[in-house]
Amino acid sequence: MLLQDKYRIAVLSAYALVLHGFEAVLPMPVPWLKLGLANIITVVALFLFDFRTAFTVTLIRVILSSMFTGTFLGPSFVLSLGGGAGSTLAAGFFHYSLISISGRPFFGAVGLSLISSFFHNVCQLTLAYFIFIQRIEAILIISPFVLLVGTATGLINGIIADILIRNVRAPLPESDLAGSGNKL
Amino acid sequence: MLRIFRAVPLADKVLFFFMLTASLSGIFVVREALPQAADVIVEVDGRPVRTAPLSVDGTMAFNGDCGEIQVEIKNSRVRVSEAHCPNKLCVQQGWVSRGVIVCLPNNVVVFIGGRGTGTKKGLDAVTG
Repeated sequence: MLLQDKYRIAVLSAYALVLHGFEAVLPMPVPWLKLGLANIITVVALFLFDFRTAFTVTLIRVILSSMFTGTFLGPSFVLSLGGGAGSTLAAGFFHYSLISISGRPFFGAVGLSLISSFFHNVCQLTLAYFIFIQRIEAILIISPFVLLVGTATGLINGIIADILIRNVRAPLPESDLAGSGNKL
Repeated sequence: MLRIFRAVPLADKVLFFFMLTASLSGIFVVREALPQAADVIVEVDGRPVRTAPLSVDGTMAFNGDCGEIQVEIKNSRVRVSEAHCPNKLCVQQGWVSRGVIVCLPNNVVVFIGGRGTGTKKGLDAVTG
């Protein structure tokens, strides 16, 4: 790993942490509703760089934000880590497997953000079932609502990520992007 | 806004509408499916002999103390459709969507409950 890759991961993690912190102070109508703004950074990292960057950034964000809020190794940390890791793995899997099948990115940033938010919710609901509420009816009743909200926030985050990717990519020549990918 | 909409790949739009439809319909599917998670449990001589979902229509026959007794499930309700007991109180009780039908001469109990419930729920209390 080159120094520039470490800088890149550090900068992206800082962005993700700021978005995570910003989201925590926003008032929300219901406690389990979250915007998942930090997911924007994961999607951007996956698109502009590679899976390793996206996954590292997500892990750093989850661990550091839990340390800042004092929930490290607590139950909400487990949910956050499971959701973050699961969503990034799923988004990475879909991104790369579809690239290897069709030869070009199949889903755009919006699609990846939707996939990511879906798997984030699925992982969290599964973990919540095993850790907290061992009543499958309660999980089944709440899951369509959670997935509906996740679809909406996933769309918003995806559009933001899409705009971000376009603006970051625009001034760079293609050779520059290809070069940075090979060094990892 | 329209420019962004055009720039999004078709696969993303399809995925979005699929997830929207799936989660919206999921709200109704779950709501419809859950209250019907009840079972019809038939006990003969105090032993549970048959458990059937209330959502599946059908007829079941059992051998009670007074001969055959038929239990019918239809539209999430249950009744004793035929019995050979003396006063046929169980048949007269008609369709039941919750609670219990008891045919005492036959020693047959038909009740609606969730999985894992039964008439034998242990002792209420022990004194002394």
